[in-house]
Amino acid sequence: MSTDTDPNAEADAPRFDRVDWEAYAGGRTGRVSTTTKLFALTVAPIVALAGYDRVAAGERETVFDAFAAATDLPLQAFGLDFAVTAVDYAFAATLLLFVWYLVVPLFQHPRIASHYWRRFKRNRPALVSLAWLFVVFGGGLLGPLVLNAPEQNILAGHQPPVGLTVAEANVPQCVGEVADGRCGGTWEYPLGTTRGGVGVFTGVVYGMTISMKIAFITTTIVAGIGITVGTVSAYAGGWVDEVAMRAVDIVLSFPTLLFFLLVLYVYGAGLGMFIVVFSLFGWGGTARYVRSKALSVSEEEFVKAGRLSGASTRRVVRRHVVPNTASSIITQLTLLIPGFLLAEAQLAFLGLGDSSIASWGQLIAAGRSDLAFAPWIVLAPGIVLFLTILAFNFLGDALLDAVDPEATTEAER
Amino acid sequence: MTDNGSGATADGSGATADGSGATADGSGATTDDPLLAVEGLRTTFETEAGDLVAVDGIDFTVERGETVCLVGESGSGKTVAVESLTGLIDQPPGRIEGSVRFRGAELTALPPKALRRHRGASIAYVFQNPQDALNHCYTVGWQLIEAIQVHEDVSDAAARARAIDLLDTVGVPDPAGRIDEYPHQFSGGEKQRVMIAMALVTEPDLLVADEPTTALDVTTQAGILQLLDDLKAEYGLGVLFVTHDLATVSQIADRVVVLYAGTVMERGPVVDVFERPAHPYTRALLACLPGRESDLDAVGGAERGGIAGSLPDPTAPPDGCRFAPRCAHAESACSTGDQPPEVAVGDGHRVSCIHYDPGDDPSALPDPTESAAEAERSSVESARQDVIGDE
Amino acid sequence: MSDAPLLSVRDLTKHYTTTRGGLFSRETNRIRAVDGVSFDIHPGEALGLVGESGCGKSTTASSVLRLTEPTAGDVIFNGGGRGGAGRNDDGTHPNDVTRFDRNELKAFRRDAQLIFQDPASSFDPRLSVGASIAELPLVHGMTDAERRRAIVEDLLERVGLSADEYDRYPHEFSGGEKQRLALARALVLNPDLLVADEPVSALDVSVQADILRLIDDLRAEFGLSVLFISHDISVVREVCDRTAVMYLGEIVEVGPTEAVFETPQHPYTEALLSAVPTLDPRSSGDHIRLTGSVPSPADPPSGCRFHTRCHRVIQPDGIDLDQSVWRRVLDFRERVVAGEIDSASVRERVRVGEASPGPPAGRSERAAADDTEVGGPDTDDAARVRAAYDLPATFRDPDVDRAVADAVAALLSGDDARAAETLAEAFTTPCADHAPEFTTHSDGHRAACLRHRPDLPGGMGVFDAE
Repeated sequence: MSTDTDPNAEADAPRFDRVDWEAYAGGRTGRVSTTTKLFALTVAPIVALAGYDRVAAGERETVFDAFAAATDLPLQAFGLDFAVTAVDYAFAATLLLFVWYLVVPLFQHPRIASHYWRRFKRNRPALVSLAWLFVVFGGGLLGPLVLNAPEQNILAGHQPPVGLTVAEANVPQCVGEVADGRCGGTWEYPLGTTRGGVGVFTGVVYGMTISMKIAFITTTIVAGIGITVGTVSAYAGGWVDEVAMRAVDIVLSFPTLLFFLLVLYVYGAGLGMFIVVFSLFGWGGTARYVRSKALSVSEEEFVKAGRLSGASTRRVVRRHVVPNTASSIITQLTLLIPGFLLAEAQLAFLGLGDSSIASWGQLIAAGRSDLAFAPWIVLAPGIVLFLTILAFNFLGDALLDAVDPEATTEAER
Repeated sequence: MTDNGSGATADGSGATADGSGATADGSGATTDDPLLAVEGLRTTFETEAGDLVAVDGIDFTVERGETVCLVGESGSGKTVAVESLTGLIDQPPGRIEGSVRFRGAELTALPPKALRRHRGASIAYVFQNPQDALNHCYTVGWQLIEAIQVHEDVSDAAARARAIDLLDTVGVPDPAGRIDEYPHQFSGGEKQRVMIAMALVTEPDLLVADEPTTALDVTTQAGILQLLDDLKAEYGLGVLFVTHDLATVSQIADRVVVLYAGTVMERGPVVDVFERPAHPYTRALLACLPGRESDLDAVGGAERGGIAGSLPDPTAPPDGCRFAPRCAHAESACSTGDQPPEVAVGDGHRVSCIHYDPGDDPSALPDPTESAAEAERSSVESARQDVIGDE
Repeated sequence: MSDAPLLSVRDLTKHYTTTRGGLFSRETNRIRAVDGVSFDIHPGEALGLVGESGCGKSTTASSVLRLTEPTAGDVIFNGGGRGGAGRNDDGTHPNDVTRFDRNELKAFRRDAQLIFQDPASSFDPRLSVGASIAELPLVHGMTDAERRRAIVEDLLERVGLSADEYDRYPHEFSGGEKQRLALARALVLNPDLLVADEPVSALDVSVQADILRLIDDLRAEFGLSVLFISHDISVVREVCDRTAVMYLGEIVEVGPTEAVFETPQHPYTEALLSAVPTLDPRSSGDHIRLTGSVPSPADPPSGCRFHTRCHRVIQPDGIDLDQSVWRRVLDFRERVVAGEIDSASVRERVRVGEASPGPPAGRSERAAADDTEVGGPDTDDAARVRAAYDLPATFRDPDVDRAVADAVAALLSGDDARAAETLAEAFTTPCADHAPEFTTHSDGHRAACLRHRPDLPGGMGVFDAE
């Protein structure tokens, strides 16, 4: 084939037919990827902090205060003086997960990312939805750092939003200007206040934080359990499959709401409990979807090619099957989030939610008795909730079109 | 196949006479008009990348009792062309210009509803994938009988008898026994036969078959082609047959229209086109066929072994001859102006290539010169770059 | 050593069992997809495997590569420096792919690769094609990413693409280009055997020629052996040295490509060849028409599996009919015995016959019979039944005629069992009773047809290709 007789040159030439594969055989290939290392590195401080919180911080003390007291670091100066809950730790860990396994890969593969983006941006409503969700996400993340937590101030109750007025009789004390016996809104409370004098705008922004926590943490739990159960079920087959699918049946038919109410009466239920209960009983559909998707993907020729390459089943599943099922369940998950947000709002409205948190549902509940003369208390968070849910739905549809490979061939035909 | 269908034929052709009387719309058609006459048909689609010209001004006719083959690679616009004939293209995003006359009546001027009636009654379609076209929830007989009763008001028993008859006509063995079976109990070839039976329900004058044998095994394919040929002869059907397979064309066609990038490259009686192909594209297509060297002595060696490059971008077709960028015989004159006009190189045999003058011998194509081959390579290269640059 | 085949497949069998009922499943059905297939491929040789869809050729390919576990049989692979080994004492072979353990199988993956039919789904849509191809060297231990990339880029150029296409994604390639990429992926580990499963049937004709030529060039350059699977025998003719014809899970004929195509020794091969459309528009298109459809591999016919469709099916002693008439008689018999034709359907056909105007006949035999016969409604009905099922109105052989008449009468009187019994008794063929064995016709050209058995009636070793 080749006239090149220099053995060294042959060994070095990057040609497939000159590689001595025997020499490579047995080499280790299953190394931990850089992404995983970086994720572990960034998530470690959070885990450490959570551990410290549990072990060292006192009952009435925030973890930052305890840490500052122990190390003499001026943490308060950085605004780190708030109480950290278990939900916050989980939220931070989830965010890192999303950054390292969703955002970073998109930057690492700009070619495919721009391909997805080109197809995604064809869908105008989805673009607007994405922008809106960025607002909610940014507001939820940064808002609490900028705005003070909502506080009761009876004297400032029922203030109208900017540009609106309300009869003075309904207001304990008008913060803005009074004209013709009507109290006007001020920029101190851009969206008015509740009966207790809590700023609706502040409430809406803090509600964004709660909603983002619900969205991210439930998604992670549901996706984690769903993908694991679905893939294992599809690949193991036999009795494992059978057991897993019956478990899914149970999860799907489980009366989650009643169970949550039971937990609520026995233990009392905070946001953390809500998230845990609802996501632990919310993965059934996802698992079923992943299973069917994994079964169909494993029939694809590129999976067979993966097996033919000599790769272990684990590697084929991890590298080919899971990514190809995961991208299509992104859609399913974005459509699941609105359900959780709505459930939280409904429970809060019925007075069954966590009254210590400033969720949109709580705000709506607070305004329901004053609907006649102070509709903004209900309308402002209500509209934001409605828009957010709508945005998730639009986003889900657009993501399906953007990342589904079958849609690729259809569209490019 | 003709044998067991002959009983049905007498019945069927009698009904055809009645049927055509009922569907003729008396629009001043004369018997001189061809069954189907297409002139300047141009179908474009609005896309984000600009107007996509799928079919770029093609003409052809189909006479009664004749099979015309539209042949071309995928992307040549052949399927869009036949779908444009009878309103199977949604407008928008599609836009259809030109004239389609069926028995002398202009189809493009008809409102959609009338067009659908035409499509149902006088023009029948057979598609590539019979399994997609049959409803798996109902028996074959049920579907046939329904089609018959939609078309004419007959009793259940009469419709059933006619359904059995039709199945017999298309060569389904034991039609009486199998009429109550479901589509999944039929093989691929039998399903295609059932689809043809469905198409015959309305006693059409024109049968449009879009790659009807592509999904079938070669043994089954031969039977279906034979059937279409028999039906053409028995019913005097006009058949418009769309395919990418030249070997199929040689078996069934009376006349051939070779399409490339939405334009007609060459047309003529099948014997002329196959024995004395004129256009470099036709020659290259014939030379591509595997395992048939012996059949191809007439064709020069220049085209053997595939056609380099790929189809031009339909949103920005090249100047001059559409095939010039891939043509081994291309000269600079080939890439200017519009697609060359068709010139006659035989009786009904016409070619759109600047290398021919009217009356030339189709084998008079000059050998590709060095410079032409060079030009071809560089243009293929640049076409490649375009594709890459596009991303 | 050089005579030793690279791949030697012996009695390869793959049966699928379909089960139903979840946890408490039971075996319900056994599909014999591949039923005792044997062939050899020598180093540097291309063997074609042809047959209709459903004949088991793709299952054979994936069983050879152990993508599916074969039910039985040996697949002995002597490539990759394994040559020279003999059988063990217990009859097993150290190079038997079906007995390879995990590590041996992984090493085997380097030496035998596959290209698929569907270019659209053969690459992971979420990986760049370069990454997909470079995964194979990685799996086999080459951790040096630079070197992997260099090898893959070099290979991309060898299959007619350019090195900078490494970072592009599958959706950016045409079908033909993807098939080139698939070839690159199959070659990257420098295999000895390439299995090509319908590699061009999803491509345009103009692209097919390119890919076939590329396969041929690569085969010559790297000394590859190729198992080429296709339903299109003209493609096989183009690239293969030897050809094996499969029908219903069995090989019926195998030999040098030219011999198989020029002097086919099995009726099925004849029929396949005759079905291929020629490029000559003047040819009459006079094909051998196979009757019926491919039987279910769950319940293959006894004896020669092709006998239910064969145009050369043997007539037993004492019957001497025109071969096409004999075929129709047998078809009628099969369908009555199988219950496909019963008294209900016969009566329905008779009604249809009455309803249609004109005589229910078109064939001359029948027309003649109608002219001479003057009968009551019964004989009319009987004639209609015969016409409807493609049988002549009268047979020259009185025994045959009587048997058919009895059966038709039984059907008309509603006695299905008696009709089936009469026909089953009267018409038998040796093809249904004897499984054919391979006979050798010329160097390496073998076929399994009872026509080649001189000891059978009608066999006499005669097989004159028309």
